[in-house]
Amino acid sequence: MSVIAPDFKLSGFIKSLITDIVWALLIMSLIGIPAIMMILFFVPMPVIDGELLTPFLAFTYIADPSRTLPLVQAFMETDMFKIMAFPGFGFAALLAAGTIFVERKMLAKLQLRVGPFYCGKFEGILQLMGDGLKLISKEIIIPAKADKPIFWAAPVLFVASAAAFVALIPVAPGWVVADVDMGLLAVFAVIGFFPIVTILSAWSANSKFPFIGGIRALFQMVSFEIPLILSLLGVVMVTGTLNLSEIAASQSSFPWILFLPVGAIVFFITMLAELERIPFDLPEAESEIVAGWLTELSGMMYGLVQLGTYLKLYAFAALFTVLFLGGWNGPMIVPPLPMEIATHGLEMGPITVKIGGLESLFTQLITQEMLNGTLMFVLKTVGVIFFILLPRGVFPRIRVDMLLNLGWHKLIGLAFVNIFIALGLVYAGVLGPGGLQ
Amino acid sequence: MADAAFLALTVITIGSAIAALEMRSLIYGSIALMGTLGGIAGFFFLLDAPFVALFQLAVYVGSIAVLILFTVMLVKRELIFKKIEDRRRKFAGIGLMLIIMVSLGAVFLDSGIKTITTDEPPVDFRDIGTNFVTYYWPALILMGLILAGSVTGALVLARREDVENDQRAS
Repeated sequence: MSVIAPDFKLSGFIKSLITDIVWALLIMSLIGIPAIMMILFFVPMPVIDGELLTPFLAFTYIADPSRTLPLVQAFMETDMFKIMAFPGFGFAALLAAGTIFVERKMLAKLQLRVGPFYCGKFEGILQLMGDGLKLISKEIIIPAKADKPIFWAAPVLFVASAAAFVALIPVAPGWVVADVDMGLLAVFAVIGFFPIVTILSAWSANSKFPFIGGIRALFQMVSFEIPLILSLLGVVMVTGTLNLSEIAASQSSFPWILFLPVGAIVFFITMLAELERIPFDLPEAESEIVAGWLTELSGMMYGLVQLGTYLKLYAFAALFTVLFLGGWNGPMIVPPLPMEIATHGLEMGPITVKIGGLESLFTQLITQEMLNGTLMFVLKTVGVIFFILLPRGVFPRIRVDMLLNLGWHKLIGLAFVNIFIALGLVYAGVLGPGGLQ
Repeated sequence: MADAAFLALTVITIGSAIAALEMRSLIYGSIALMGTLGGIAGFFFLLDAPFVALFQLAVYVGSIAVLILFTVMLVKRELIFKKIEDRRRKFAGIGLMLIIMVSLGAVFLDSGIKTITTDEPPVDFRDIGTNFVTYYWPALILMGLILAGSVTGALVLARREDVENDQRAS
């Protein structure tokens, strides 16, 4: 029986550990803490309970459970939290991950297959995590004659564009990363970046299949952008604003899909084309051109593009929800929050536990309206995502001339019909000032 | 803050404009052109005109630069362009640019604009719409007719009758 480390001595091991710890402490105290202090000098710290938060106070708060909540609340009110976690990237990525799993499983059920089954104990729910680990650990292969800077940058730019799109979506009243006054125009501007990234990625791979796929993607996206923009003008006419939060708030009585069904249908079809989903998946037609513009991407570069694609899918579904289905509006189904626990404390027999900071958390940040709005928004968005996924199990792929014919002849005409319906509703006094809304 | 943003935008815009002219690769040239157009959109943001800025992004960066990129990709450069370069042309170009910039600067200095306030509220797009349908209505109708005519023309041109009609999806 061989020994793994024949020269092993316990005393030597402990000595090396102690040396490492001493060095770490020395470097930390000489360089680390002054650096942190210097950084904190420039970072504006929040005021909690009338006290300016300092690093030492923050450590005190973390160590004392009854004082942790104000710290959490102050963190949740920062822009960083909004960008990283709740209405921004983390929330969208969570929904996107759920979408990928549901898509694979539902498609399998539609085609009488099993789908992901072995990874994870129950119905393969850990399949996505396994795929992610596989993609991270795979080698990234760059084609020899590729244009390297653009090839490296394209997946990152794709995710960045998708994240910029996600940032414009209002999830609940006041919960939006970028509350732009020109929100819908910003959406149009962001959508315009996807074909650029696609065609640059396709061109830089210097390979036939990606280039054909990229040109198809460019054709498809550019020609469907026009009916997309036109189909949303009806909503802008009846609401009189471009701010997405105001558009969502204007549908408190009824969603606009009741009055503008033509626009909703046109927007849904153009949405499928912009997302390159079946029946419009010509850019990635795997039976003709391998994987279209994704052919040469490998490893985590492919993973990034997939992440961007599903973020984009979530953002488009959320945009449909905000514009046509009423966003966060809906019946109040969330029960009222337990305010007596916040004000009087939790009574457990003879003991009463009072949790500091819970009251301001319940009244300012996590209110009943916010929870209900988020729930309604998520329910509607998941419904729209379901209808985006459904055609994949039903329809075949269409030809490119049919695609362009549909985009340029039929959808643009229908979008104009929708605009005239909206104009008629406003001028007849049904909607707008003096009307229902 | 606004000054730093202005300087950064200036560097981006002029730098990428020079790069767009001087790059050997046409693709990189068109990407640099996108940078220039995006920088101009940034100037509109600084001037409190987000409406114009977003349209600049959506139309110029999103559509026109894409068209240029697309054309460049489908073209074999060597077959079309001949390199005509000599020192005289270069210096003549630089001199022409200097003359234009000096005269433009003279116009600006002469116009009496000394300061620009940057904290004005942005112009409401509803005001733009109201102005269009009241004072500027002839221009609006003219633009509408021209655009409608060009859209109709594009649709007619796109509808090719010589393609066999039985193959076309109806």
